[in-house]
Amino acid sequence: MVFFQNLINALQWGSFYALIALGYSMVYSILMLFNFAHGDIFMVGAYIGFGVSTALVSLAAMGAFALPGWLILVLTIIISMFLTSFVGMIVERVGYRPLRDAPRASAAITGLMIGIILETGNLALLGAERVKFPSLIETTTYDLGGVFVTNKKIMIVLVSITLSFALHQFIRRTRWGMAMRAMAFDFAVVPLMGVPLNRMAALTFALGSALAAAAGILFGVAYPVLDPYMGILIGWKAFVAAILGGRGSVVGATLAGFLLGFIEMFVPMIFPSTLRDFIAYTIVLLILVFRPHGFFGEAYSARLRL
Amino acid sequence: MEATSEKLSIDKKQLLSGLRVAASRIPLLAWFLGGLVAVALEQFIGNPFARGIGLPKVPVLFGFVIMLKKPFLIPSAVLYVVLIYLLPVAVVARLTAASMNRLAAKLLDLKMFLSVILHLLLFYAVLHIWAEMSDYRVLVLKLMLIAVMLTLSLNIINGYMGEFSCSHPGFMALGAYSASVFTVWLFADDRLFGPALLPPAIGPFLFPIALLVGGLVAAVGALAVAVPSFRTRGDYLAIISLAFMFIVKSLIENLEVVGGPRGLGNQPDWANLPVVFATTAICIWIINNFVRSTMGKALNAVRDNEMAADAMTVDTRKTKILAFLFGAFWAGVAGGLFAHVLRYVNPGTFGIQKLAEVLAMVYFGGLNSVYGSIVGACGISLLGEALRPLELYKWIIIPLLLILVMIFRPTGLIAFKEFDVKKLVQPKKMAD
Amino acid sequence: MTRKVFILAMVSIFAVGLVFFACGPKGPETIKIGINAPLTGDIPKVGEGTKFAAQMWLADVNAAGGIQVGDKKYKVELVIEDNESKAESAVKANTKLITEDEVLAIVGPQSSKQAVPAGGKANELQTPMISPWSTNPNTTKDRPYIFRGCFLDPFQGPVVAKFVKGEFGFTKAAVLYDVASDYPKGLAEFFKAAWEDLNGPGSVVAFESFTTKDTDFSSQLTKINNSGAEFLFTPQYYNEVALIVQQAHQLGWDKPIVGSDSWGSSETVKLCGKDCYGLFFSTHYAAAGAKGATKEFIDRYKKEHGYVPDDVAALTWDSMRIVQTAIENCGTITGDIKKDRTCVKDALASIKDFDGITGAMTFNADGDPSKCAVIVRISDQGEFEFYKSVCP
Repeated sequence: MVFFQNLINALQWGSFYALIALGYSMVYSILMLFNFAHGDIFMVGAYIGFGVSTALVSLAAMGAFALPGWLILVLTIIISMFLTSFVGMIVERVGYRPLRDAPRASAAITGLMIGIILETGNLALLGAERVKFPSLIETTTYDLGGVFVTNKKIMIVLVSITLSFALHQFIRRTRWGMAMRAMAFDFAVVPLMGVPLNRMAALTFALGSALAAAAGILFGVAYPVLDPYMGILIGWKAFVAAILGGRGSVVGATLAGFLLGFIEMFVPMIFPSTLRDFIAYTIVLLILVFRPHGFFGEAYSARLRL
Repeated sequence: MEATSEKLSIDKKQLLSGLRVAASRIPLLAWFLGGLVAVALEQFIGNPFARGIGLPKVPVLFGFVIMLKKPFLIPSAVLYVVLIYLLPVAVVARLTAASMNRLAAKLLDLKMFLSVILHLLLFYAVLHIWAEMSDYRVLVLKLMLIAVMLTLSLNIINGYMGEFSCSHPGFMALGAYSASVFTVWLFADDRLFGPALLPPAIGPFLFPIALLVGGLVAAVGALAVAVPSFRTRGDYLAIISLAFMFIVKSLIENLEVVGGPRGLGNQPDWANLPVVFATTAICIWIINNFVRSTMGKALNAVRDNEMAADAMTVDTRKTKILAFLFGAFWAGVAGGLFAHVLRYVNPGTFGIQKLAEVLAMVYFGGLNSVYGSIVGACGISLLGEALRPLELYKWIIIPLLLILVMIFRPTGLIAFKEFDVKKLVQPKKMAD
Repeated sequence: MTRKVFILAMVSIFAVGLVFFACGPKGPETIKIGINAPLTGDIPKVGEGTKFAAQMWLADVNAAGGIQVGDKKYKVELVIEDNESKAESAVKANTKLITEDEVLAIVGPQSSKQAVPAGGKANELQTPMISPWSTNPNTTKDRPYIFRGCFLDPFQGPVVAKFVKGEFGFTKAAVLYDVASDYPKGLAEFFKAAWEDLNGPGSVVAFESFTTKDTDFSSQLTKINNSGAEFLFTPQYYNEVALIVQQAHQLGWDKPIVGSDSWGSSETVKLCGKDCYGLFFSTHYAAAGAKGATKEFIDRYKKEHGYVPDDVAALTWDSMRIVQTAIENCGTITGDIKKDRTCVKDALASIKDFDGITGAMTFNADGDPSKCAVIVRISDQGEFEFYKSVCP
């Protein structure tokens, strides 16, 4: 019983890691860069979602249109994903494009700094108050013989799996996806074949940021307290998941995201919860000692550009 | 009209190049002497002079703080800096240049070691008198020197070896805690460890041992990151090190013996300015020798191409492990000093915030360069203090500046530059 | 040409300097009070409350023409420093306030993480400091110059335990706290000790933790759910309270949840909503149903800043006024800052029955006030209702 309850908890928690890890992983596979601003793009996405949903709710309240809560949520997700993708493209343009030939670590630093600017900018604009994400759908709790499931949990897990699957299909089946795969395969030669490098990079950032925005809104639905620093820790941990999955692997990043969620949920179930981080990250460390290239990563290659 | 302006600009250029030539002939010794005069001047007439020109008191940190807080005091602050610091330094340096050049030459003939010691003593005297003015200056100076050590030690791993290690706050925490446990357990009456075991009088002499213990513990901890680095590198190593940082933090939080999240306080007050300065000087000297030795070259070889380095008979394993242990050791020493300067540590200090700070210092200053690390650490520390009055906006301006540096100088301000002590202390050529 | 310009510049600079010399500042003497607050970092809201309360106090004092010391009125100046909610930065800020700005006394830092090391520095430099909100015993222990404006964890833990025991008669407790944060961990342990004193060892059936910045507590709550506990005690900050309570309810928890003074923010109810209605917590003061000076303060704060002040703001207000009283009691300001500071310290230590908006205060030898705690119930309108008062 406890096991199933934790399984469900872990599925929800893992969904967030998976969605955010996808963004890291995509940028990584194509540009071989860490986007350390990604956690903060997730935060911006959540805030944009907050703004959009508040606007929609108040419009609906004023009688502009009558929409059920779930439709507002769907609209919020779509609009915010669209808006946040521009944030991603701006970050790429400002922080990454000028540094494409620089050492990779330099780009990591710009990402880190853009992240700090996003956090502080948010704090300066919106003030110190934490923001409550509007509850768009009523929480219903189902009691399945001692295992408690809410409608929100089901929705979050379903949406995140759907989005990862959609991304997977996009990369497998479309021309853009093919270009991205090609780029991941060989960064230097593919642009010579007529694939526009800049546009691909922007597209990658846009896609990753859109997913981060979706994660941000789902996060707001599940944990309706937003603050400017909410993206830091979850961002770094999702980064761990992205690398753990193996670089540039969509399936790997998704699975590793869920795996990290499971580790973090099941460790406190078995051990004292004070030792959670200690044990959880020792497991991660051990995994990497024995599988030095993650789950789906290729072996050490000479492509490291530093 | 146009002709005049052109003439003026030529004049300006001549003036600038003239200044540069004049400056290039002045040896370090003369600069230090100038500094000494300037700080002595401040010591004696700083306060009345500052009050006289309308400042509430002697401006801290060269007047930056006051400028941002009260803009109408800017002329006075500039005036103060020019008259108390710049002018005396320039005049004394220019006047004593010739004799100091002779002295430097003589010292160099005698023994380089002596010359370096003399320079350091002089430099310390300048800093000491400058810091004498207020405790705030002392604290800023100490934390800045510690930041220099930290940045240098991270530069060994991230710059010279080319890994992206995120575990430095972890190493620092290990050093800070083990050095603190050593001193608190032996020399302080503490609620956690009971009464002092040894008389506190001999404590200051054993303080280097405490720092050594801190460094060694950090180095042993570094094995956890160094050993996996045999089989993997780059990104995988980055998250191994990141995981290591989380583990250390969580471990300390769970260790009730050292206070857990409440932190550990009550460290004896031994990390005074001379101790911190001496440790930093030793650290720079040893690290500089390390990176200029064959070992340092081997590190660069491993960074540029591990397989090729292997083929050229570089023992890559030994190189990697040594670099990690060495970097972690100094991070541990810096952590030990940090704990004794603040006289309190808690695990929350050694988190992602600290990581971002150290990384910023390394990449801002420049990879693969001792100069760069010194400049990066001092620059970011001073900037952080100077922009204090801006409160929130400080954290928009500093990152923006770093982004600009990264865009225009992707490897940092002063990257890939050798730190040649001899060049620094030797007399400067006189163009007759 | 160049030389001429240069000489001209030098002469003019000296001239400007001389002008300044001539009309140097001979204004009225002012008293400086330092504020050391977390304006950025983890808990910016706490910093905001501190700043607002301090500024309200300043407006009051300066409207009255300054602080009356002896037969002279001194204008007051606040020096507000941000400590980024970091320990080292708090120490730096304190050092700067003391040595550079030469403040007479310091109010802040708020959380123990910063107040413990910063207090060490202030004590070393012999400057009176009063931390309005830090409940860790170490902040003031063996430090004659350091005071606080609130009660301590070792007092609050038993208060909650006794209240629950007397009110509900429960015997099995569960605790959920942040292991990486000083305040919740300390309080959780004091509560555990007190509860086991009352109900015998093993009566805390679940003692679960998480780490700062966590947002998902479902694993720990599942454990608590299955432990057979009759109520949950969670001494967390307001943002985590909302998440913990909501997640507990989603996991089928329908038993009482009890909190501590860190719940006492207007944001708790705003973030938590209906889930928090009917819950109890112990705190310094109750905003709803307040009377007299307390109500006056709340109404004014609300009018100026748009929300009901947190306990941090109320405690800061009290601390500012205690400092003011101490300065007034001091009798004279000599201008010798060292002497004045010691005088303020002595005056602080001898304050008796100070009538604050968060209760009457008298400092003991350690610089801790003996104060009553208030048990507050969150009403069905989401207001903090006074329920009971517990005195030491």
